[in-house]
Amino acid sequence: MIRAHQLTKRFSSGKGQSKTAVDGIDFVVEPGRVTGFLGPNGAGKSTTMRMILGLDAPTSGTVSVNGHRYAASPAPLREIGALLEANAVHPGRSARDHLRWMAASNGIPTTRVGEVLELVGLESVAGQRAGRFSLGMGQRLGIAAAMLGDPPVVVLDEPVNGLDPEGIRWVRTFARQLADEGRTVFISSHLMSEMALMADHLLVIGRGQILADCSMTEFMGSHAASYVRVKAPALSDAAALLDGRGLEVSRVDDEIRVIGLDAPSVGELLFRHGLMVHELTLVRSSLEDAFMTLTADSVEYHATTAKEVAR
Amino acid sequence: MSATLMESGAVVERTDVACPSFTAVLHAEWVKLHTVRSTWWTLLATFVLGAGLTILMCWGNADWLASPEADESPGSFITWGMMVAQITAVVLGALVVTTEYGTGMIRTSFAAVPARGKVLAAKSLLVVLVFGIVGTVTALVGYLGGNFFLDREGIGMPLEGDVLRSMYGSGLYLAGIGLFTVAVGFLLRHTAGTISVVLALMLILGNMVNLVPGAVGEWLTKLMPGNAGSSISTPVAFNPNLLDAWAGFGVFVLEIAVLLAAAYVVVRRRDA
Repeated sequence: MIRAHQLTKRFSSGKGQSKTAVDGIDFVVEPGRVTGFLGPNGAGKSTTMRMILGLDAPTSGTVSVNGHRYAASPAPLREIGALLEANAVHPGRSARDHLRWMAASNGIPTTRVGEVLELVGLESVAGQRAGRFSLGMGQRLGIAAAMLGDPPVVVLDEPVNGLDPEGIRWVRTFARQLADEGRTVFISSHLMSEMALMADHLLVIGRGQILADCSMTEFMGSHAASYVRVKAPALSDAAALLDGRGLEVSRVDDEIRVIGLDAPSVGELLFRHGLMVHELTLVRSSLEDAFMTLTADSVEYHATTAKEVAR
Repeated sequence: MSATLMESGAVVERTDVACPSFTAVLHAEWVKLHTVRSTWWTLLATFVLGAGLTILMCWGNADWLASPEADESPGSFITWGMMVAQITAVVLGALVVTTEYGTGMIRTSFAAVPARGKVLAAKSLLVVLVFGIVGTVTALVGYLGGNFFLDREGIGMPLEGDVLRSMYGSGLYLAGIGLFTVAVGFLLRHTAGTISVVLALMLILGNMVNLVPGAVGEWLTKLMPGNAGSSISTPVAFNPNLLDAWAGFGVFVLEIAVLLAAAYVVVRRRDA
């Protein structure tokens, strides 16, 4: 379990100004499910993850792993496994040697190195220098490193970045399996579509603040507004009729969009008034759209101050 | 577990455990050190330059040194190669630290070992041990080869007194240079920057302060790290105005200690 309390991080951006990357956030990442950490680039995801691992010191507030400050753990790799950035390995060192030093640092038996290599399917290239690895192989090595200590908490920062479809499916299945084993799985991404397939629970961050903390189902229900698309020859008449019934009606090109009534009822209503219908479809807005709507402010904000946020 | 639970949100400090043991961290750093080729290439360069150049210089200068017009002591030549080999200690000292920052691996290191002081200490200890041994062996081989040519001219030196001291002194000096660079590496986090700064300080600035007039310049020259530290690595220094071997090395060790302390403070405070 990961618990953040009033977690805040400010960076000084020179000229005496400071930029709040993470702004007093509270959240709990529960075990036994995949929690997606979603936000536009620069929203504070990576900063939060670095604070969880004690790499960045919070300006104020606390974050704990399994009830303890991470840095106080006797064997940190047995507490949290983390993939922070792919290819954060010495290009001249082999994958096996990279895992060997990590194991040594936490008193993990060397036999475990072979096990995690097998787990991610890198046994055949374990002796190769990591600098020759593709991005996908680098991600697998990072995940092998994360699993080295068989940790109850797994944190993966943008694990599907640069992966081919097969690799993405592998990460998805892997995350699911870890959660099913009762582990805490915390995965960041800026891609809603990816999260929709992977996560049970969502934590949406924008501009350093938590915008949503709910289950995936709840998020879809409350944010992914659906509407009924109507195409008809007498479009204006239809719009006027539906509008007269107190429904939210908007006209877009050659169609009208109706919110507040289901498709069959819209069809019946129009039929009763003798209006011909060419198309009647329930359109669920995608999660990507919902996410965009939710984080629109923060994205806009970042577009203008990208330089400040860039680290 | 002796930790006391506090209100939710509060972090419980563990008092019953220590972070990964120093032995474990040292082991991990050793694996890191010997599993990259650059380590072996650099150490090979230390040996070839250190021993090879000493032998070459003794071979080339033996008859001159034995002649009446010689105005240098053969003792200044018997560890000559170490003056060049010290550059390899700068290179390896830097690589051990800065490649981790360059690749982002330092975050993996600090996530695995949150007690960053231990990482700094383990790297420091390994660099000192490796260069202490390689430096001494290199100096000894250089002595054996170089002294062979000096002996032929009747100016050979027995392996005792200042000559013997300059052997392990070479190991100590290289270890010191490596350690000095490790500290600078943690402060600057950049390979090229670290190597340039240390080499400029040792080789260029160390000679340029000589130009400062009067006693100030004289003392600056004596106290510059490269000058203060190198006296111990040679039986007779080329520059007669340097501090004595052990006094100079003491100054050098103090300078290293200050840098290491600064590195320790900065590494612990700075976000990785």
